[in-house]
Amino acid sequence: MLKESILYESVGELAKRIETKQLSPVELAESYLERSQKFGPQFNAYARLMPVEALDQARAAEKDIHRGHYRGPLHGIPYAAKDLLAVKGVQTTWGAKPFAEQVFDYNATVIEHLKNVGAVLLGKAAMIELAGGLGYMYASASLQGETKNPWDTSCWTCGSSSGSGAIVAAGLAGFAIGTETWGSIVCPAAFCGVSGFRPTYGRVSRHGAMALSYSLDKIGPMARSAEDCTRIFAAIAAHDPLDRSTLAVDKAAFTYSPAEELKRRGLHVGWLTNAWKEYEPGVGKAIQAAHKILPRYFASVRDAKLPEGPWEEAAGVVLQAEVASSFGEFIRSGRVKELHDPLGRVGGYVNLTVTGGDYTTAQRVRGILQKKMDAMFESYDVLATAALPAPATPLAMNLVTGLAFPDPLGAIGNLCGLPALSVPCGFTEKNLPVGLQFVGRAGDDAAVLEAGQSFQRATPWHRKHPRLS
Amino acid sequence: MNKSKGQKINRREFARNAALLSAVIVPAGIAFEEPAAATNEQLPEGAEKLSAEGRVEAEARFQQIMSQYGSRFDSEEQKRVRDGCYSLQGSLERLRAFHLENGDAPAVYLKPLLDREKKPQSAPSAGAAPTAAKKP
Repeated sequence: MLKESILYESVGELAKRIETKQLSPVELAESYLERSQKFGPQFNAYARLMPVEALDQARAAEKDIHRGHYRGPLHGIPYAAKDLLAVKGVQTTWGAKPFAEQVFDYNATVIEHLKNVGAVLLGKAAMIELAGGLGYMYASASLQGETKNPWDTSCWTCGSSSGSGAIVAAGLAGFAIGTETWGSIVCPAAFCGVSGFRPTYGRVSRHGAMALSYSLDKIGPMARSAEDCTRIFAAIAAHDPLDRSTLAVDKAAFTYSPAEELKRRGLHVGWLTNAWKEYEPGVGKAIQAAHKILPRYFASVRDAKLPEGPWEEAAGVVLQAEVASSFGEFIRSGRVKELHDPLGRVGGYVNLTVTGGDYTTAQRVRGILQKKMDAMFESYDVLATAALPAPATPLAMNLVTGLAFPDPLGAIGNLCGLPALSVPCGFTEKNLPVGLQFVGRAGDDAAVLEAGQSFQRATPWHRKHPRLS
Repeated sequence: MNKSKGQKINRREFARNAALLSAVIVPAGIAFEEPAAATNEQLPEGAEKLSAEGRVEAEARFQQIMSQYGSRFDSEEQKRVRDGCYSLQGSLERLRAFHLENGDAPAVYLKPLLDREKKPQSAPSAGAAPTAAKKP
């Protein structure tokens, strides 16, 4: 097996080795598989490993590269996909017992994109059942059980991209794909100390992904660095006729070249002073330290305030109404009772009572908010604050009471489809990671990724890894 | 109300069903009474922040669920459903209090299906067109 230090290398570093034939994609896949078989079950990180398929793909990549057909930085890089992305012929459980045997006969578009650039699919990452759309109280709300945090196995990874966070943090794959409706990339990235990117709504096709909330769902990468997220995003961002919510060809596509860094613009940062009511002590310290160093690496850092309004309420009503439709039949049939979580088994019934009038009102409020946020980005390129005000929570915590803090930025970012990136920015006294979040204007994913890269050029946090035993 | 897919509903049926539904949403015994008095139970947390009308609406929402699906829940689950109804009501009251002009349109618009979009071709990098999932 390859050394652990190699398995924790970034996609960029691994790609250099692969391109120059110093590293065999087969050996890399074998090493990640072996590590995943050893540590994956400890964290409940995977829904399913796919060793046969992965090694076939790795051999094909190796053959291609030896023939001189190198496809780019993801060629031969092993990754995991959240188990709500359809993979042809392979069980796609959506993290939920009632769908445990579900098999699709096609690939999600994002899986196809990654296949086309030669990435190697190692397996399906564990997740919260139905991405938590019907509500959940406990970390155990998953067919795979509670996903344990590689930094402290008595703590949770956050959800719903729980396995994706654990897999990247534990060095079980080169990167992972997660999804976010409200917090499901940003939170696990912060809890697990990895870089997680939520793209602008409509840039990454959701064809073949479980639909939870049609106007809120997004797909994005979770990786070792902001630069890795940039490379992966460039491979998966594209218009897709099979997903009518994707943006037009020229607005959806994203290109990245490290040489472009030379043309970097000086970013103006708005430091949010009202995103969180209070921080847990360990988090506050790391966030203050990050705030202090930002002016050295950005054109300006000025205090900024989010507009006030019923944004969380609007996001909640939109989510509840759309889930009442996406899983309406599942709820009405009573099969929802087969879910694991006690709240998930009943939450959907409340969703069914949201009226069309209230849903439309929420959408109208959303329209107002979009304009307010767009105006805010006249003054700033990115907004910054903590990804979350608390570190990873204990596995047994009741999340309804324990993680019940207002999250206006999460609501705003997801209602308006804004890109966001969480990057590690320090640790609490208990050695739990803390995340710093950058949020950008809709469509300006480049600014958010650039902000993360600038921060990581100056800080070591993304290179820290948990000690596994 | 339990029409199978593809069945049409005529206007008279719609009116009758709407009347039945309104009867479920605001049961006669509860309408315009304080829900605590009607049910003689402790109100969920946060209920005191709701308006009187909001409490009635939340309770009617709960009763609607119970009348349709009540046999599916044990007492603990009933409590969770009721908590959820009151929580949703709080959100709705704050949402409805937000000032909107008549011309403030929803953020999500219809995107007409133009001729050129009717037969989607495979994405440049997408694989075979999807078919229905094979479910067990």
